[in-house]
Amino acid sequence: MTELTITALPPAPLNAAEIWSNPAQVSVRCQAALGFALPGMGQSAGSEALKLLRYEPTVWLAEGDVAPLAAVLAEDGAITAIGGGIVRVRIAGAGWRALLMQGGVFEAEAAAFAPGHCAATVIDHVAVRLFVENEDACLAYVPSSYAAALMHFWHDVLPLVGAD
Amino acid sequence: MSAGPSRISPGGETVTFTFDAVTYCARAGDTLAAALLANGVGLVARSFKYHRPRGIMAAGIEEPNALVTVGEGGRAEPNTRATDLFVYEGMVAKSQNAWPSLSLDLGAALGLASPALPAGFYYKTFFGPAKRWMRYEWLIRRAAGLGNAPTLPDPDKFAQRAAFCDVLVVGAGPAGIKAALEAAESGAQVMLVEQDAVLGGSLHRDPDPECDAAWIAASAARIAALGGRILLRTTASGYWDHNFLTLTQRLAEPGAVPAHGFAQQLWHLRAGRVVLATGVIERPIPFTNNDRPGVMLAGAVRTYVRRYGVLPGRRVVIAANNDDAYRTAAALIEAGAEVLAILDSRSSSTADAPDGVPVLYDARPTHVSGTAHRLSRVTALVREREQSWTADLLAVSGGFVPVAHLHMQAGGKLDWNEAAQAFVPGVTHQNCVTIGAAADPVPATPAAPAGHPKKSFVDFQNDVSLADIDLAWQEGYRSVEHLKRYTTLGMATDQGKTSNMVALSRLAERGHVSVPQAGLTTFRPPFTPVTMGLFAGAGARNAAAHERRLALYDLHEARGPVWQPLGYWFRPRAYTLGSETLAEAALREARGVRTSVGLTDVSTLAKFEVSGPDAAALLEIVCATTVSKLAAGRGRYTFMLREDGMVFDDGTVWRLAEDRYLLTSSTGGADRMASHLSFVRNVLRPELRVSVVNVQEHHAGIAFAGPKASTLLAGLIGEAPPRHMSLARAVIAGVPVLLLAASYSGERAFEIYAEATQAQPVWRALAAAAEAEGGAPYGMDAMELLRIEKGHVVVGGEVDGRTTPRDLGLDKMLNKAGGFIGANGLQRPALSEPGRIELVGLEALGGEIAEGAMLIGAGGGAPQGHVTAAGRRVIEGGAIALAHLAGGHARRGEELTAASPTRGITTRVRVVAPHFYDPAGERYRD
Amino acid sequence: MYLIDCPHCGPRAQLEFTYERTMDSIAPAGADPQEAMRVLYSRANPMGADDEVWRHTYGCRAWLVLTRNRMTHSIDAVRAVGPETLA
Repeated sequence: MTELTITALPPAPLNAAEIWSNPAQVSVRCQAALGFALPGMGQSAGSEALKLLRYEPTVWLAEGDVAPLAAVLAEDGAITAIGGGIVRVRIAGAGWRALLMQGGVFEAEAAAFAPGHCAATVIDHVAVRLFVENEDACLAYVPSSYAAALMHFWHDVLPLVGAD
Repeated sequence: MSAGPSRISPGGETVTFTFDAVTYCARAGDTLAAALLANGVGLVARSFKYHRPRGIMAAGIEEPNALVTVGEGGRAEPNTRATDLFVYEGMVAKSQNAWPSLSLDLGAALGLASPALPAGFYYKTFFGPAKRWMRYEWLIRRAAGLGNAPTLPDPDKFAQRAAFCDVLVVGAGPAGIKAALEAAESGAQVMLVEQDAVLGGSLHRDPDPECDAAWIAASAARIAALGGRILLRTTASGYWDHNFLTLTQRLAEPGAVPAHGFAQQLWHLRAGRVVLATGVIERPIPFTNNDRPGVMLAGAVRTYVRRYGVLPGRRVVIAANNDDAYRTAAALIEAGAEVLAILDSRSSSTADAPDGVPVLYDARPTHVSGTAHRLSRVTALVREREQSWTADLLAVSGGFVPVAHLHMQAGGKLDWNEAAQAFVPGVTHQNCVTIGAAADPVPATPAAPAGHPKKSFVDFQNDVSLADIDLAWQEGYRSVEHLKRYTTLGMATDQGKTSNMVALSRLAERGHVSVPQAGLTTFRPPFTPVTMGLFAGAGARNAAAHERRLALYDLHEARGPVWQPLGYWFRPRAYTLGSETLAEAALREARGVRTSVGLTDVSTLAKFEVSGPDAAALLEIVCATTVSKLAAGRGRYTFMLREDGMVFDDGTVWRLAEDRYLLTSSTGGADRMASHLSFVRNVLRPELRVSVVNVQEHHAGIAFAGPKASTLLAGLIGEAPPRHMSLARAVIAGVPVLLLAASYSGERAFEIYAEATQAQPVWRALAAAAEAEGGAPYGMDAMELLRIEKGHVVVGGEVDGRTTPRDLGLDKMLNKAGGFIGANGLQRPALSEPGRIELVGLEALGGEIAEGAMLIGAGGGAPQGHVTAAGRRVIEGGAIALAHLAGGHARRGEELTAASPTRGITTRVRVVAPHFYDPAGERYRD
Repeated sequence: MYLIDCPHCGPRAQLEFTYERTMDSIAPAGADPQEAMRVLYSRANPMGADDEVWRHTYGCRAWLVLTRNRMTHSIDAVRAVGPETLA
């Protein structure tokens, strides 16, 4: 069995930033105001204060202080708080990729799914969003109602990680 | 039994197991079949219909006879092939379909009467009343059958896992290993799967000096070193669209206690290219009593001799139509057996027989005889003259059938290979190729029987004989699909692996057509049987889905409520106290709301924040009511229609700010509403400047309802709460909350939303305030009583997908300007015709009203509607209900009968308006 | 299980997607009521390729139009629809 830890992190300020018009200009404004452009699909960008993850073509998941982002969006989008409904689960250890193949359909074992990348998929019937923190850790954004069950599932299948 | 099969060289047994409670020794690596043969056990099963004695016929997954139940209790696995089961210490295996024992089986008496059970006997014999059929069926089910399904829960777990590779190779025989090695060397990510416990496949039967054990080990190591993955005890059981395959992997042998608790793993594999090196299955040949113990497939005999060191017989006759069986003669001679003759059905052959073994051409076996345990005599027609041998083993080979199952599941075609008398894989539109013996089987001639054999079995597992096929033919069954269903040929766990081609050949013979003209049955997954638990996966014990847990779960659980599933959610149904029944608790809770105050968890409601300059425009498409006139800080009831004009959901819409709305809708319809909103916004109206965000789980929701709710809430927030259908922001227990003054119960009430992670203190504060005034939490049953009395419709109850706004009495609220989804559908004339099913209230004239009861007029006749929800007046008592009634709006005052035969309750009822409580809504106002 | 090449996420398993309806069942905006009903209830159902609306529901949640062959199950084209295609 590989050494893996599965930890629920404390609640974080999470927001959905949806852009309905002029995404390219918003990205330019973002670069100017925050120092980074809007990340592309499956990518992330950000600073200490604010991290943007793009799981959807028009929606960015914003983790951190979104006050400056509201000004960046201006009339081209809106910000909505969603953090109450999401539990962040950190899966740390060399076997995290194999663990995420259990009950999954997404190729978490692919090298292209590298640190800084993110993907939305379904694991054991639960819609989750994955973010590769580094080679040894992945963050899963799990709907709160499913978090206890999914963490139980991950602990359950832990003995299979590295068994094949 | 001592004179039966045995080890070629003694010793090496380190494993003990039991078969039918007798303890035996085996060598590690033996299959149960090999171990039983080594121990001289010839009789291992009784056949499906006739209880004929059966032995081991094959050495692989195609074995039709030797089915056993292995393991105990919930771990027991019935119908496991003894040839696909590797012995382990302490293994407990049992024979099936025999009583009181294999040797002394009373059911075998049935076998004497086998002419009474011909093909299609079910259809011919059991006419008459259904009652009689039930009795026959009971008898047949006891007499005929396979193993029993375990009745205890399976203690083991099953996993499912995804995997991806460039090249999947199925089958690790010489061709498969070479293909996997070659692909790995070319840089591809390779997976090599093998259903056996060892790599090598046919090499264990037919050694090749260039592919010896060292070569196998080195190849496997090289594939692994290049990043490839090799899985043993893994069967590619299904080949689906777009090169998706399901692999079933045994992590422990059947019946064994798995090391990590997981018995099996299902791989969901997506492969770039698939290489099928699945080999061939040998065909048996027809003759009288061809199913006796001691008649084995020639290749299987070679496998037992060379791989397991077991000699299945000492005096052997070989019967074949091909050269391959000659190699069995060589293997037997090497092992010290006596090969009495090779009966070759061909008129000549260039194959080399070992020295001293007589080869007889134009020779076919006609019958064999012996005891239930052992063979004693083989008789054949040799150039039309009968000849007999005293023999304990007849090794047969009727040619080879390529294992094309996966190729066919992939949508491939088959080509007829005349030289081999076999179908070989042809073209396929998936990226898939078949190699090795499966692509190029050994040549063989047609294997027609000598003379007219009796009790010559084709499908050994289903006891289908040549005579059954002939009978079906006589009765006019020409299509192979019909033949299959009429005779049960090719059904059950082996799906005709050894029988389909024999049967097809017979059909072709009878019809004087070629085998390809006779047709083919469909190859369906799985290739070999799959344990049901594997499909359910790890979530099996929760109906294959995870429970959704409320943010306030801990607080509810501390009160020990009765939990109620609602979709995947679980919500408190009632908080029973002491010895209260559920109904008593629900009524107490509902009365608390009517007289004092109560609180309930409404977190599961669907919630969406809709923001942006075009937010109202989007909502006016989705909602059938007006939205744009709503002032900021106000809310209203709304409902949504399908395109055909039927109501499909309802809820409330609140204007949180100038360009921001909160839309709530039903719990059960939450996912559907999320998808609907997204469809409208993205597909129908992509140009809108609007954001729709699902905030169902972001907010926990608590309804606070009752005549004392407003005063108590004012105390908690330090100011006057919002008036009915208004909203306010406030702080409770230090937590920011959104107060929506809306009522589902019919009392002055508030829905209080807090961020789910911070909701617990809010619930505690509200519960403490309520309890200080004699109030209490209430569950779903109380909520149901309250809403029925108030006449609020529920999605899934009154809103059943067949009702229009008018049917439900909601048409006055429709947006007169139109433009909403369903507006076109509503214009269809039939939706305005009189006599439609309409929402009404019912009052019992005495007694209870049963939910689901049919509504019948005074003169009887067909039901005119049904009770959608049955309740009672919460304070005054007396049964009331909501119902759908044909032309109901115009029938107030009419008396009907509400009859529920299934509940045994029939009640006289009066039709009334569907608002039993405070119809003017005066209680909402402070 | 199909492999659907999501224009936003790349090739993903069918399990992540949900089928909605055929493209030809969606009435154009402003269609008169009778025409809208005709479109809703009469679908071509061709024995071959058809355009179907799917959603990557358990992925990027975007809406897609698949040109899918109902005979061979081959997916010959996938295109995005929605606001992201307007920019």
